[in-house]
Amino acid sequence: MSDVTPFEDRRLFGTLGIDATLSAWLLVGVVLFALEAGAVANFLTGLLADFVGALPTAGSDGSLLSGATAAFDAAQAQSNAIPTLLSRDVVPNAGHWNGKRWVGTFLGLSPGVSWAIRTALVYAYAFAWVVWAAFGYRYYRREIRVADWTPRDDVIDRFRTHKWGLFGAVVVFMFVVMAVFAPTLGPTTVEQNMRNSYSYEIDYWNEETGSVESILVGEANVDSRSTGDSSRVMPMTYDEYGRFHPFGTMPNGGDLFTFIVVGSRISLVIGVLSVGLSALLAVSLALIAAYYKGRVDLGTVLLSDGVMAMPQLLLLIMLTTVLADTWIGDVYSGGFVLALIFAFTGWTYMWRSIRGPALQISERAWIDAARSFGQRPRTIMRKHMLPYVTGYVLIYGSMTLGGAIIAIAGLSYLGLGVAPPTPEWGRAIQLGQDYVTTGSWHISLIPGLLITLVVTGFNALGDGVRDAIDPQSDSATGAAAGRGGGA
Amino acid sequence: MSRADAPDRAEVAPRSGPRDGEPLLSVRNLRTVFYTERETIHAVDGISFDIHPGETVGLVGESGSGKSVTARSILGLVDEPGVIKEGQIRFKGDDLVETGFEDHRGDIAIVFQDPSNALNPVYTVGNQLKEALSIHQGLTGEDATERAIELLEAVGIPDAPRRLGEYPHQFSGGMAQRAVIAIALACDPDVLVCDEPTTALDVTIQAQILDLLADLQAEEDLAILFITHDMGVIEETANRVNVIYAGEIVERAPTGRLFADPEHPYTEALLESIPGRTPPEKRLPTIEGEVPTPTGPADACRFAPRCPKAVEACRTAAPDPVDVSATADHTAACIFAGDRGDQSGGANE
Repeated sequence: MSDVTPFEDRRLFGTLGIDATLSAWLLVGVVLFALEAGAVANFLTGLLADFVGALPTAGSDGSLLSGATAAFDAAQAQSNAIPTLLSRDVVPNAGHWNGKRWVGTFLGLSPGVSWAIRTALVYAYAFAWVVWAAFGYRYYRREIRVADWTPRDDVIDRFRTHKWGLFGAVVVFMFVVMAVFAPTLGPTTVEQNMRNSYSYEIDYWNEETGSVESILVGEANVDSRSTGDSSRVMPMTYDEYGRFHPFGTMPNGGDLFTFIVVGSRISLVIGVLSVGLSALLAVSLALIAAYYKGRVDLGTVLLSDGVMAMPQLLLLIMLTTVLADTWIGDVYSGGFVLALIFAFTGWTYMWRSIRGPALQISERAWIDAARSFGQRPRTIMRKHMLPYVTGYVLIYGSMTLGGAIIAIAGLSYLGLGVAPPTPEWGRAIQLGQDYVTTGSWHISLIPGLLITLVVTGFNALGDGVRDAIDPQSDSATGAAAGRGGGA
Repeated sequence: MSRADAPDRAEVAPRSGPRDGEPLLSVRNLRTVFYTERETIHAVDGISFDIHPGETVGLVGESGSGKSVTARSILGLVDEPGVIKEGQIRFKGDDLVETGFEDHRGDIAIVFQDPSNALNPVYTVGNQLKEALSIHQGLTGEDATERAIELLEAVGIPDAPRRLGEYPHQFSGGMAQRAVIAIALACDPDVLVCDEPTTALDVTIQAQILDLLADLQAEEDLAILFITHDMGVIEETANRVNVIYAGEIVERAPTGRLFADPEHPYTEALLESIPGRTPPEKRLPTIEGEVPTPTGPADACRFAPRCPKAVEACRTAAPDPVDVSATADHTAACIFAGDRGDQSGGANE
């Protein structure tokens, strides 16, 4: 950035002048999006259809709602037809051996290799997005932005050198990609392998007869169960029907990897929803308490203490049971209710952590300055206070998310929460617990390790963010004591 | 406000004394108290003063004497557990204590002590300037940018168009304080409350900011309430001075008169502690002790514990302000004040 450039010319977005690098960057973004546009459309229409379908009156009286459900279902079917790079059809792994070579797999490679290629593609694609975003940020910071430095730069630079935080970021990245691309990553699908396994047929190479034969998936599953020392399909092996199992099979013969991948999506959705809701509650109440102080603050303290005094686990068990057969209990296999309960009992902890920093910020002179010239309280809270607590929200949000994932897994382990047959990590552990001491130890061990790893990852990410933000909050503490004297 | 005529003020007293016409801002018997868990603090305990258009009224006192709480009360910025318990703040015919401060937001603007704290570091200076402009003058977009540049130029910030897009940390202390003044001016105020606006600045920058305030006052006919603990700054800027001690105004006088003929022992002590007034070879006098925190109504002279002239009578009853001059608006709240004054008022003891 040379100093002779007039500053208007550097504000590219302001004048809508776009240079070559920027347009190339935008183009790459569009191409990356186009590769998966079909999947995004599919996901969105599916979400809408699910949501409308879950509303209480839908489907019962041919009302507007059921019409909407049908429309969304049709839209979803159409979006299915849009080809995407990472769909199961482009790199198929479900094929069979015909005596000479693999049939129906990607380029005739073995199912295991095909699956590995697809997984690698998914992660490469996700990584490309990260690189794209990082490049965009760097370009913005160096070329587009007028200021040479802003306070946020230091936070990002500190995080970039924080090894523990980076480890967390990598783990969280892997987990989120796993959840987002869950249907693509599994070697088979939940529908075919678990939910309606007797409605699907697969071809396989029968060694004894020396020919290709067909079998129902459900029947094949019975023969590939992992139930002890003798009967088991271990991780990274094929079963006798030529199906590849990256994590082995479960006691019912289903594919553990598919189960875990789809389960990760549930954990993430419930976790993000509950943490998002509790963050919203916590931040609003913390800002209101800090801005108005006094009796309003006292009121929120009492409210949060009251909520904290409620036994969360009992409430969870009671509400999941009571709401089990209602429409709200059916949304997302009961996950929605879980998220709501987590949010309304969990916000207090985040609120406590945010209230302190919010009170500090409310003492800064620029708040008084804004008040003195008549800015509305809501705008002051949003514009002049919120930016100072978002860091804390990220830290505690990341850590609470880990806790939520553990809680969801724990509930499923106990048979509460997410209703079967929807996959959930805690249920995988519960299903495998009888075989932990046998040769089929992988069923409980793998999801157990993954839960530990993911939760550690979220905590590490939270630690990294905290350390990146801390120096700033230290200086805030030092300067905020200014108004205590009343002079 | 010319500094050259300061020595003559005691005799001539230009623009001092009771002014004709209605005061722009009139504070009457203001009491602001803080209800803490342990005690009730009477931070401002019955203060009265007037500000007329175009004049500078000084409010001077030590740390903890209630200067800033007075400023915050006038602006309606007193937070819980503090509350304006009684009194009136009359501005343009309204009593702000009664009607609320919202109708006159921006008519009374404030310049804070520490410019680095008064500007939000995450927004550009232009952003914060335009925020005030959009609220008070409804200006947005190009109009706001234009006006913001005008304001920055008016407060003497060079290269205003570029500075508009810069963050507060890129401003030096003096420039940041100019930006804060520009934001205050964006509201087009009638009264500017300056709460120690030069305390955080270097001496040379202080002088520049004081000159700027004087120029702006002359241009816009601003009334300024100038709060400081620095008697030297007060002598340069104010037309009239109120000396505040422990939440009460102990002496009020035109500036020249106050410096030439202080009536209250506290004012005398403050003046003696100005470095220039003591011969260099002598040790600078100080006032022993601290400002007490008033936790109840005054039942004695609050300065008595630190006062070299205190007698028993000082500790039994609170002195009322007495007029000490027949010609000028000069009062002092001391039982000895009348005896040494112009014989126009007597000690009511």
